[in-house]
Amino acid sequence: MSYCVNCGVELDPSAKNCPLCNTPVINPSDLKTRQQPTPFPKEKGQVETVKRKDLGILLSTVVLATAVTCGILNAFVFQGTLWSLAVIGVCVILWVIMIPVVIYTKQSIYVSLLFDGAAVMVYLYMIAYMIQRDDWFYGLGMPIVLWVIFLSECFVLCVRKLPRSFLTVALYLFTALALLCLGLEFLIDLYLDGQAAFQWSAIVATVCVIVDIAIITLLSRRRLRNEVRRRLHF
Amino acid sequence: MEKGVRRDWYKLDLSAIVYPTLQRRDFSSVYRLSVLLKEEIDPRVLQQAVDMTLPRFPTYKAAIRKGLFWRYLEPNNRPGPFVQEDVKNPCQPMYFKANNRYLVKVYYYRNRIALEAHHSLGDGTGGMCVLQTLVAVYLRLLGHEEIENGGFVLDIGREPDPEELEDAYMRYANAKVRPPRPGEKTYRVRGTKEPFYTLNIIDGIMSVSQVMAVAKKYNATITEYLNAVLLYALLTKQEKDWHLRLRPVKIAMPVNLRRFFPSKTLRNFITMIYPGVDPRLGDYTFEEIVTQVHNYMRYYLNEKFLRGDITTNAATQKNPLIRVVPLFIKDFVVRMFYTKVQDKNSSAGLTNMGAIKVPEGMKPYIERFDIYMGQPFSSRTNCAIVSFDDILTINFASSIIEADVERYFFRKLVSDGIHVKIESNREITEE
Repeated sequence: MSYCVNCGVELDPSAKNCPLCNTPVINPSDLKTRQQPTPFPKEKGQVETVKRKDLGILLSTVVLATAVTCGILNAFVFQGTLWSLAVIGVCVILWVIMIPVVIYTKQSIYVSLLFDGAAVMVYLYMIAYMIQRDDWFYGLGMPIVLWVIFLSECFVLCVRKLPRSFLTVALYLFTALALLCLGLEFLIDLYLDGQAAFQWSAIVATVCVIVDIAIITLLSRRRLRNEVRRRLHF
Repeated sequence: MEKGVRRDWYKLDLSAIVYPTLQRRDFSSVYRLSVLLKEEIDPRVLQQAVDMTLPRFPTYKAAIRKGLFWRYLEPNNRPGPFVQEDVKNPCQPMYFKANNRYLVKVYYYRNRIALEAHHSLGDGTGGMCVLQTLVAVYLRLLGHEEIENGGFVLDIGREPDPEELEDAYMRYANAKVRPPRPGEKTYRVRGTKEPFYTLNIIDGIMSVSQVMAVAKKYNATITEYLNAVLLYALLTKQEKDWHLRLRPVKIAMPVNLRRFFPSKTLRNFITMIYPGVDPRLGDYTFEEIVTQVHNYMRYYLNEKFLRGDITTNAATQKNPLIRVVPLFIKDFVVRMFYTKVQDKNSSAGLTNMGAIKVPEGMKPYIERFDIYMGQPFSSRTNCAIVSFDDILTINFASSIIEADVERYFFRKLVSDGIHVKIESNREITEE
């Protein structure tokens, strides 16, 4: 039987510290390692997750029904153009975005992003097929989607794998923004004029680079970092 | 069970309406009642006892469903609830759709059986009925046939009395005037929030006769005395911490209305009173705090004031304009009101279940009872008191790392000459 020297309360034989004041319990006449049963179990419990299967089935049915109905209407009633492709494409995108949220929640974010990109590309191709012109798809649509997906994957990779703080995320974000604008102007110019010249994107990139340099300076100087943290904490 | 004999759904009672709207990913209004027996628990027999006992309590063998305007309870015939080994962090959130939609859980650990229930099913008294009936059935299955029914132990062979399932608030919400609710910002305990899934428990175990003697010295009852000690602990904490200005310190204390209004209901039938002191008026000595709490209780705890309180609470639910508002808007408004007003109205919670009585035949098998108020809504500590025979247990449940309030509380008891034994699930920090 031990008492806390600080609080004067009796402690459980298994206690190594006083739960009230954290003072260690040392009993000079009883120094052998105590293997007493504790009054509370040691294992932590996990909260059971809610299965969203029903919601997944419901949303899938809604999306599927919309797509099929439009397809049938297009095939038999309003037969003028292939307008249903626009609706079906949107349904495909919605369903693909839905997968990680309600259907398979363990899907990694990298795979989800790839699937989202693929879905958008399929949609763009459907539009190209619908209007019977696909040069813009190969020249502009597909490269831009690929570029955006590539940048998002890199951004997620940086945020997940590299040390993360408010400043580093801002750094990745501004870098990604600069690269996105440069890529966009490059691809657009290439498609329209056949040659690339950087104009507006260069301005955006300059601003982003200045911000980046400022952030890197803050990150590399501990004193500055602490100063910012001290003055801006909320 | 023939069709149509039992009702197939129940309206939520007046307090039960609030608890589901406060449901968050990391918060459910879950409380825990546990009993320490004198022998190790046999989980297989316990499961059998649960299966036999729970059908007697239709409002506990239930699931919460959403209607367009209100939530309601629906009998739940899915398999379960299954007894499970106890965990270090009890009173975890209960999601309405998880756990086969059951809102009760039964745990066992060494000699202990613990019942956790969502507050929207019923209050501590109702839960105690379920727990004691379960323990009686369990002990009878082990061969202790002599245990009789009576008190909290209900006869599982009989159909439930309709009065056990009623919303007793509505029967007594008939005062002619609606007294205003108290609304004052009180002192908030500041502390470092523990991560989700952690509940810090500190149990203090002492002798009823010792506490009674000390309380008598202050001319107070045990509840008043312990209330005063908690107020004293909170006042000390406020004083020692850094603060811009002092705030009044108040305790939210549920009152069991069955003491004042006869009802056999097993659902919620409690209301809150807020004993407190205001340090801005000057420094209180401990004796003055006791007097203040004592007088407050004498003044407010009577049938008339409590009837007014029930009427105020029921008025919102009876208002036809409020009734037709869709549930999600109600949820939003209630949650806002709760976080902005109700939750700030008290610095800590304290509940006293009083002396638990069990049938004579069951007495030799029971060591003591514990009750926990569960995860606090905001970062603070909640205190629950229960006594059995000569053992009084004070159970603190908090979601913050600092144990200052608990320390001041128990040190005060020790300095008043009470012998306190402490048990805790807190992690041993080696610094």
